[in-house]
Amino acid sequence: MSHQHPEEFEKIVEQLAELKDTSEVMMDLAYSSILLNSTELAEEVQRLEEYVDKLHTDFELRVLTSRFTKEEAKGFLGLIRLGVAAEKIADSAAQISEVILRGLEPHPILKLVIREAEETITNVRVTKKSPLVNKTLRDARIPKETGMWVLAIRRGGKCIRPKPELIIEKGDVLITYGYAEGVKDLEKLASP
Amino acid sequence: MEHILGMRRLEKVKYSPTSVRELVLEMKNLSELMIDLAYSAALFNDKELAEDVIELENRIDNLSLLLEIHIMVAARDPEDAEALLAVSRIGSAADKISDAAADIAAIILHDIGVHPIVTEIFEKVEERLMRTKVTGGSVLVGKRIHELDLAAKMGVDIIAIGRNKDWIINPEEDEVIKNGDVLIARGASSGIKEIKELAEQNRGNKVK
Repeated sequence: MSHQHPEEFEKIVEQLAELKDTSEVMMDLAYSSILLNSTELAEEVQRLEEYVDKLHTDFELRVLTSRFTKEEAKGFLGLIRLGVAAEKIADSAAQISEVILRGLEPHPILKLVIREAEETITNVRVTKKSPLVNKTLRDARIPKETGMWVLAIRRGGKCIRPKPELIIEKGDVLITYGYAEGVKDLEKLASP
Repeated sequence: MEHILGMRRLEKVKYSPTSVRELVLEMKNLSELMIDLAYSAALFNDKELAEDVIELENRIDNLSLLLEIHIMVAARDPEDAEALLAVSRIGSAADKISDAAADIAAIILHDIGVHPIVTEIFEKVEERLMRTKVTGGSVLVGKRIHELDLAAKMGVDIIAIGRNKDWIINPEEDEVIKNGDVLIARGASSGIKEIKELAEQNRGNKVK
């Protein structure tokens, strides 16, 4: 299918992909903030919520100014609605994280949901010399090597979902959780 | 598709003592699965996935009502009520997430769709989800998931199994695939095509 404004389209799709991914990673982080009782993760969710608000506005403006033809209007409406839904997901994730940030004392029935808290959250930066650089997450086998699980990856201002095919880059910050014993191994692996 | 027109049959919600922990965890897992299914349905214009999303949305609605009942039953005094606020906020957020997923599915079910160029580009960069129903003659029946070695062979993961109206989310490696299971797989398009063929094929054709 041909179109007159391919660059604009690429930007629209790029922003949509980011809205989608960020809303998903926020949800993972929000539930994890509850399960691991982590203020740090809850704050990350709040930060991302502001980021998504801005991204969503940019995205809508871009779609609205893309000079689509009458026949294309429906397809663009679908895009606008996808954006709105992603924003709603991000809002809900923020609502979950607020439970932790408001310091609501969890009722015993919720405490049962919270994992026995010997697990910790650790952020490590991947440095230039790390064997992880340029490996996919699947090949890096971080849980097997260190016992730590990757919840999300911070890259620049973005937060990326840890999909198996994702290639790790120098400078990435891995947000991980696991038993405290694994932290040292992870640090050795990521920032040797 | 009556439910789309707002005529879906609403089930009566009845209190029975269940573990609130189980309720919250199930809402969490189902809402996460729904988001995955919904985005994939919209981006790849897949009505079957969109219909699963609507079905799951009804499930979450019911769970969320049950959770509210449990919260009301558990509160005996103001301190209890304060402490239960957290549970109630999480429940309502999970409910909102599932609403958002249903909104995404509606883009497809109401034939609005997303611009075809978007699908074209996403096909290059995104893994997609696929649903398939395992037939009695399939070679997959009776196999444990790890025996299939899907990740290594086809770059595919099974992220959920629908069985008798229940969903097993992120199934264990030793889960046995049964006749009639609905598999939700994620991965490269060549791989998911392959697994769809395996699920729907008839073993009879292959045996001499």
